[in-house]
Amino acid sequence: MNAALFAANLKTHMKNFFSYGIGSVLYLAMIIWIFPSVSNTDMEKLIRQLPKNLIEAFNFTSGISSADHFVANEFYGLLYLLIMAIFAITTAVKLIAHHVDRGSMAFILAAPQSRVKVALTQAATLVFGLLLIAAIMTVGGWLVALAILGGDGIPFAPFFRLNAIGFLLFYAIAGYAFFFSCLFNDEKRALSVASLLTLVFYVLDLVGRLSDRLDWCRHLSVFAAYRPQDLLDGTAHVAATAIGLFAAGTALYLIGIALFSKRDLPL
Amino acid sequence: MCGHDCWRQAPLVHQRVGYLPGELAFPEGITGRAFLRLMAGMRGTRDEKRRDALLERFQLNPDIPIRKMSKGTKQKLAMVAAFMPDPAVYILDEPTSGLDPVMQKVFADLILEEKNRGKTVLMSSHSFREIEKTCDRIAIIKQGRLIAIEDIHTLQRKQRKIFEVTFGDEEAAKRAAANESFEPTRRGRTVDFVVQGDYNAFLDAIRRESVVNVSVHEQDLEDIFMDYYAGEGDVR
Repeated sequence: MNAALFAANLKTHMKNFFSYGIGSVLYLAMIIWIFPSVSNTDMEKLIRQLPKNLIEAFNFTSGISSADHFVANEFYGLLYLLIMAIFAITTAVKLIAHHVDRGSMAFILAAPQSRVKVALTQAATLVFGLLLIAAIMTVGGWLVALAILGGDGIPFAPFFRLNAIGFLLFYAIAGYAFFFSCLFNDEKRALSVASLLTLVFYVLDLVGRLSDRLDWCRHLSVFAAYRPQDLLDGTAHVAATAIGLFAAGTALYLIGIALFSKRDLPL
Repeated sequence: MCGHDCWRQAPLVHQRVGYLPGELAFPEGITGRAFLRLMAGMRGTRDEKRRDALLERFQLNPDIPIRKMSKGTKQKLAMVAAFMPDPAVYILDEPTSGLDPVMQKVFADLILEEKNRGKTVLMSSHSFREIEKTCDRIAIIKQGRLIAIEDIHTLQRKQRKIFEVTFGDEEAAKRAAANESFEPTRRGRTVDFVVQGDYNAFLDAIRRESVVNVSVHEQDLEDIFMDYYAGEGDVR
């Protein structure tokens, strides 16, 4: 880790970290705000009549009777994944491949710091961003629910669990995005390969949910580790999932860093 | 370099080297000052006096965003970043590209000073003028291979200069052009002479006539080397 580089990174990316964090909380607020108008209405009865597979595919298994489940389904099931995937991939690519592609990595590497240190600092910046956004969303989301719904809002412990696993999921996704960022000289290629892989993972997960016969597809995807409803209900294997995601992510960062420190760069 | 492995002990080597890239691409969205702070921070140096002296010398205002800087200003900023840590060795890739003549002079003076302080300077260039004031030895690289290393004075002697001399009248020009030893070509009152090192003989040849004007055209570096090595076969 290099403090000066980390500080410069934060200066460049801090605005981004906050806009993603606060933007997500605003989306969350919108979802919570519309909850009372769809809860226990005809719409729910209508959804109940859909085929079982579709209900499962679109995260409606527990209906829309409670605010926290509605949030888990409607926000953490889709929008959150989209927002965070974009953030994780673009930031990972900006931190390494972008500098290599533009040539500004030449200045950074000319300093008497080992490449391992430089890459480690960039990875730390990425993880710090993810952590900051997760913190903003956990605290901000909970406060927003409290303000809009009144009473107890949504229970904090399950909501925290959901955000913590969400953070670890994107720790792993940012891990492979960072790996590609270290691997490719071309920024666009790193971006497209990481995006494509994420899309494939998502489609595998969706297909697995739609069809019982293709259930095995889900296990090929990183999203298998992430079940918003089960996380809220406490029925997921939280500890095992957390350890698995953390280990996979860490391994990817380390491989990326090792690769970057040995590679011939076009500078 | 300096007894260290350039790859495995890269940080130790970089500590002793000031580097100016040929293609300048700065990190985005920061001011010149923030960039210099980053560079100093990554080196662990806090020598603001040297930084400010260099900024003063190059007349550079570091408080504007880098993306608003002109090419010359960016070049000056990169120059300050390279010289700031006061390293033992400088590696400069086409250092004067984009600099105006005044700044080129400032740069040449700075190089001479650093040289007198015992620093090693390694720089690449396409212009003879740029390096003849500052360099001791010149190496030429062709198609990725080092083909020659020469002392600058040897090269200066080998450099062919075209003296374009205008005489008082056509008769004087004809008389001067009669001396074949400097490959004269006459156009009316003006004669081009090719001179290579033997300046005294050349001056003797023209001083009896009335000379109205003299201008000198220098060969560029590549032509000098092409001439110099013409007899030594194809370098490939």
